[in-house]
Amino acid sequence: MDYRTPLRDMRFLINDVLDFEDHYEAIESDASGELVDTVLEQCARFAENELFPLRASGDKTGCSWNEGVVSTPAGFAEAYATYVQGGWPSIAGNPAFGGQGLPRSISLWVEEIMASANMAWTMYGSLSRAAINAIDSHGSDELKATFLPRLISGEWTGTMCLTEPHCGSDVGLLNTRAEPHADGSYRITGTKIFISSGDHDLAENIVHLVLARLPDSPAGTKGISLFVVPKILNSEPNGVVCGAIEDKMGIHGNATCMLHFEDSCGYLVGHANDGMRCMFTMMNEARILVGTQGVCLMELGYQASLQYASERLQMRSASGPKSPDQPADPILVHPDIRRMLLTQKAFLEGGRVMTYFAAQLSDIADRGADENRASAERLLDLMTPIVKGFVTETAFEAVNHALQIYGGHGFIRETGVEQLVRDARITLIYEGTTQIQALDLLGRKVVMNQGQALMGFLEMIRAEADLQSDGPFAGKLRELADQWGELALGLGGKAVGDADEIGAASVDFLMYSGYVTMAYFWARIARIAKIHEDDEFMRGKVKTAQFFFDRLLPRTDAHYRAALAGADSLMDVSANEFGHH
Amino acid sequence: MLRYTPPEKDIEFVLYDLFDAETEWAQIPAFGSFDRGTVGAILTECGKLASDVMAPLSQSSDEEGAHWDNGVVTAPEGFKDAYDALAAGGWLGVSGNPAFGGQGLPKMLTVSLEEMFWGANTNLWLYATLTVGAAICVDAHADEVTRRLYLPKFYSGAWTGAMALTEAHAGTDLGLIRTRAIPRPDGSYRITGTKIFITSGEHDLAENIVHLVLAKLPDAPGGSRGISLFLVPKYLPRDDGSLGDRNGLESVSIEHKMGVKGSATSVISYTDATAYLIGEPNQGLACMFTMMNYERLSVGIQGLGLAERAYQASSSYAKERVQGRVPEGPQAENTDADAIVGHPDVRRMLLTQRAYNEGGRAFSTYVGLQLDLAKYASDGKVREKASRFVDLLTPVAKAFITDRGLECTLLGQQVFGGHGYIREWGVEQLVRDVRIAQIYEGANGIQALDLVGRKVLRDGGATVVELIDDIRQTEVPEQYTAPLDEALVAWQEVTRWLCDKAPSDSNLPGAASVDYLDMTGHVLYAWLWARMAGVSDSKDKRYVADYYFAKLLPRYFALEASIRGGSESLMEPSSNWF
Repeated sequence: MDYRTPLRDMRFLINDVLDFEDHYEAIESDASGELVDTVLEQCARFAENELFPLRASGDKTGCSWNEGVVSTPAGFAEAYATYVQGGWPSIAGNPAFGGQGLPRSISLWVEEIMASANMAWTMYGSLSRAAINAIDSHGSDELKATFLPRLISGEWTGTMCLTEPHCGSDVGLLNTRAEPHADGSYRITGTKIFISSGDHDLAENIVHLVLARLPDSPAGTKGISLFVVPKILNSEPNGVVCGAIEDKMGIHGNATCMLHFEDSCGYLVGHANDGMRCMFTMMNEARILVGTQGVCLMELGYQASLQYASERLQMRSASGPKSPDQPADPILVHPDIRRMLLTQKAFLEGGRVMTYFAAQLSDIADRGADENRASAERLLDLMTPIVKGFVTETAFEAVNHALQIYGGHGFIRETGVEQLVRDARITLIYEGTTQIQALDLLGRKVVMNQGQALMGFLEMIRAEADLQSDGPFAGKLRELADQWGELALGLGGKAVGDADEIGAASVDFLMYSGYVTMAYFWARIARIAKIHEDDEFMRGKVKTAQFFFDRLLPRTDAHYRAALAGADSLMDVSANEFGHH
Repeated sequence: MLRYTPPEKDIEFVLYDLFDAETEWAQIPAFGSFDRGTVGAILTECGKLASDVMAPLSQSSDEEGAHWDNGVVTAPEGFKDAYDALAAGGWLGVSGNPAFGGQGLPKMLTVSLEEMFWGANTNLWLYATLTVGAAICVDAHADEVTRRLYLPKFYSGAWTGAMALTEAHAGTDLGLIRTRAIPRPDGSYRITGTKIFITSGEHDLAENIVHLVLAKLPDAPGGSRGISLFLVPKYLPRDDGSLGDRNGLESVSIEHKMGVKGSATSVISYTDATAYLIGEPNQGLACMFTMMNYERLSVGIQGLGLAERAYQASSSYAKERVQGRVPEGPQAENTDADAIVGHPDVRRMLLTQRAYNEGGRAFSTYVGLQLDLAKYASDGKVREKASRFVDLLTPVAKAFITDRGLECTLLGQQVFGGHGYIREWGVEQLVRDVRIAQIYEGANGIQALDLVGRKVLRDGGATVVELIDDIRQTEVPEQYTAPLDEALVAWQEVTRWLCDKAPSDSNLPGAASVDYLDMTGHVLYAWLWARMAGVSDSKDKRYVADYYFAKLLPRYFALEASIRGGSESLMEPSSNWF
């Protein structure tokens, strides 16, 4: 298996489709097209040369745990040192604390290139970004001065500690305690599980962002506070013990830890009982990044399966031999192989542009002109569950197509493609399962503010349809924009009479929304690509868009009907009746 | 560790309430001895073996894997005893020819035995199941002497079988194989070549392993018309069945796989190995096809067995795990959260599994019934029609049940949240194990091509129409009549559309086939669900049928639209621009 950074596609989306150069001017950033190019190219070299060679070996050996000490796979620590030396961690960091102050969108692309090359390794640095955002957005000046510089430089890494054995989705049930200490700090006691990058040998300190409960806090999520709990404090261990690492289906190279906090010293971030809101600052960006992980794995799968399909000779084309001098034709000639390749391509490149769009909104929400921030935030709020939920679900389908193209060889570990399936599987679960994303989309984001966010996006879709009213996609776009709005309205109405209606329709609604969103982007891409139709790359975009509309978009019909079919068939069965025979 | 509860009650419902097995068996002299009592005892015994002997080794065998050391292959710990129990119970010979010691059980029944074996321990069953296929092949095509020598050994489990078709450069395209067979003066042959992906090609569970090998004779015609089938035993048997010389074949290595790790998948090297021709020269593929329908159904059932396992695990978990409040409000006093089985979307995940699993059980039994009728019905016309139904439905059984198998094991895993990703919980293994079922025994894309390109087109859709007519004559409850009819009409019309368009577009069958197979499966399950709801006394089946019609059947609208989307968007781009 090989990895070649898809710079052409990235540049096309960044420059031609999403006009990032104008966007950077609008948010008053120094970032120029040239700067972005340089960053991408250098990152590509780092990722291809240093990270990709460790991908398969990291999966094979995994991490090890010995008496509380976690070791990462061979080569991971060295690569991390190179990463820090290269200044990569600080790209989007606050200049006041040593960061380079570039827009967050650029760090998303850096993340994408690295995670494609080695997802498990990249996660050690990704969690740091989450910790940085939380502290920078909500921490006191003292907290920022203490923790940000070395988190931003990469000397220290960060984690997010939410989950406990009895609480994942329902974080309000957590038990980890925080006791106030005389000097204004706190003592944290409790056990967290499933902590990605929770412990390792890459950096000399790990800064845990921990959700815990103060004494006499209200029950549920309203009583949760956010704390910074470093592994090492003033050069001394701070009572943070890694009790075990998990043996998982995939991402073996990343240490997924059970952490015991034993009277550890911690510092409050933001206000007491305001932990969930602070956490969401990190979680929203993390959710987009998980969508990016889907894109990353799809890119590898597509490159590999395309290569294989071009070389593997098996059977003859149905319309006559295409390589008559060879014993058989490359399997690329077969319609169903093409269906699997085009499906990957459509989801991959469509998913990519969706994550970039979210990144652009994130930039505006973060540092755009005041008058633009609110609407960018609203649209980003709407897009976040769609990006996380839909891009990961379709990515899982796509990497399975990549495996299938390899036939029996796809099932063999050495080929490298089954790892993509195992690694991709977690993206549908962590950072909020698909189910949680769906509930967030329909139950919260769509109905919030009288549906303003969705209505705003529907207008964007209609505007795109107008821009290409003589094109093949305009009619369908308008039809779906109308239908999406009606569906949301219809479901909202049903929910008034029956609270189960939201949950019952949610995942179908999420997938429906994802397909329509992707259709909008494919139509937009096709319109722009058509201008350069003498270029094979551009022609390919138009044809992929056509494939998407012909073969994948019809799935909206099934999801629409299922979403409207209501809750009865789900809720009539009693819990006991779910027994087996 | 996941426990396994054999689904005996549902199996009996499908056999007797849905398909009136007793009446079917009464009409076939060969099945004269089967009634509820005998069958009940068989199911119970099988269930005990599955849950008590096989299932407890499933997870450990995945963790340990099979071993290779200098050509010697060892199965995971505990497998020898478990395999001996399988063999001693006669389970390898349940479908076998009674003339040679087999029990000749109806296929309609043995599909359920297979489901339990696959579900309880896929790794272990993979050592045994190839024997069943080998026996079918030998029984149908070998000469009397060979049958008398090999079949009793297969049925008793003393010897196991393996299928050696694939080579490094030839999987789907068997016409490309290079393994050579040279005739010897005494009528035997010597075989030289290397085969890969040979499940159970070598192991330590039985004293002899008999390979069925595809190879080419000198001067054989090119391509798949030049393939012959040979029997290549690891130890050459003497006339009395005792073991003679070690033959020239060995396991060169075993694969490291995504799943079914406890199954040993060998590269086998044949060096002047003594081989015996089965059937006529150059008729190797035709011989293979005899057993192919049974094998396809069997692999389909692997999908069902693993999906049933996933449902059992996830439905138990959903009733115990408390997380969040259900929309209707707290379900019990003094609790912090509700059991997640109360959340609508968790129910969606459970009901989807149940709908496809029980639908799959009904469908595989239906195909088993057709196989029985094709072989045993006294009326020639009944045999002929059942034969065509078998041809039409076995690719659907293989591909549709395994595709749903992946979907359902994933859903079962998703119910567990993060814990579903952790190996100890045992659910992620089910996903890794089922994944191969979509690939081997003919990748699902090949099944689809067979369905459309061969089975549907060759008679202009006539068999499909006949099946639809048969379906229309069965009784279904009122509330399902309209949507079922709409689905049948859509299926019939898209079939006609395909038959009309195919002659002028050689790529259309390939372009439409996967979606067409998917649609076919969904429509057939709709019929089966309507029937099950109609014949059942309890409301269980009606719940799931209602769910199926409301939430799953609508998928066919999308599939139909995609089918009618044609081949252009796939074939227009040149190979280069990809």
